[in-house]
Amino acid sequence: MQATPQEYQFHQRLTARDDPIAFAELAEWLYSGLVQDVRKRAGYQADPILVEEAVGQALLDYYDQPGRYNPERLRLSKYLVMSAYRDFLNASAKERRVQAHQVSLFDPAFQFDELIEDLKSLDEQMAVDELWEVIDETFSDPVDRGIVELIVNHEHNPEPYIQLLQPVQPVGLPGDEQVRLARRAQYRVARRLRRHLEQWLARAHSGGDAL
Amino acid sequence: MNDFTPSLNRLALLARERPHLLAGPLHLYQEQEGLADEQLAAMLRCEPEAIPRLALCERPRPAPHFREDVERIAAYIHADMLQLTRVIRAAESREALSPRQKTAGPTLLAARDYDETESELEEPRAADSTGSERADDTQ
Repeated sequence: MQATPQEYQFHQRLTARDDPIAFAELAEWLYSGLVQDVRKRAGYQADPILVEEAVGQALLDYYDQPGRYNPERLRLSKYLVMSAYRDFLNASAKERRVQAHQVSLFDPAFQFDELIEDLKSLDEQMAVDELWEVIDETFSDPVDRGIVELIVNHEHNPEPYIQLLQPVQPVGLPGDEQVRLARRAQYRVARRLRRHLEQWLARAHSGGDAL
Repeated sequence: MNDFTPSLNRLALLARERPHLLAGPLHLYQEQEGLADEQLAAMLRCEPEAIPRLALCERPRPAPHFREDVERIAAYIHADMLQLTRVIRAAESREALSPRQKTAGPTLLAARDYDETESELEEPRAADSTGSERADDTQ
């Protein structure tokens, strides 16, 4: 089924690259529905932040390269749901693979320690306040922010993570499921932190940062 | 988990890494000025809910399209156009001066557009609450 007239109009506006509000309007129009559709496909136990990240990435990828979408062949919303769901599946599969091989090598705390060692090896160029600057910039969600603070403080006990996650999880989950979800959130946050710290390090290496 | 509500804020956060969108420079500006969304919205005379939508807008093109683009963005988020112009200018200048900046593009655009648009917009010189931004622009 091809694009609806409204989708086609948005596609033309984005492709033309001369309308500064086209993407914002498209996002405003589609974002919530896309997140709901992908969550429905992924199952309601799926990590909602992973789902939102996948939807956001799909929209931004479309913004970057609208030419990849053919409005004659598919509805835009369908295209974006497929793209986001594929990203979500890849992210989930990667997470499952990693969890299957943990605990030692992929333990988030271990990864963070390893990152700290990386940072120290850069002649201790990243001061604590710079580390927190990256964290402040990366984690605006209060739950994620709490998790990252626990990771940074080398908290290995799952209980504080479970308590942090309680407001965003279904009531009455068995204990082992709560631990599993806490570990998963811990890993997701650690991975995101690692990615942003690596970007910071890359800029430092390239001389783009006034350290 | 069931009461989780999708938020354009999350998309705006991801959009910070897109160099053609306003999310990156706006975030830097808010961070450096210590402005929450509510405070930025008050400056722009718009609703706080408009801030993530502003972040998802594209940067205005250089003159001769600059004014037209800022007008369009201002109308979209129901903001004051002159204030929005000042904030965009200041945000791009901050970004140009920031060590986080990755490319020279925005620097050059910000420097060039400043001269081109100041006269075009005929901003009143009096009651200028962002004089320091203007100083930033000219550096």
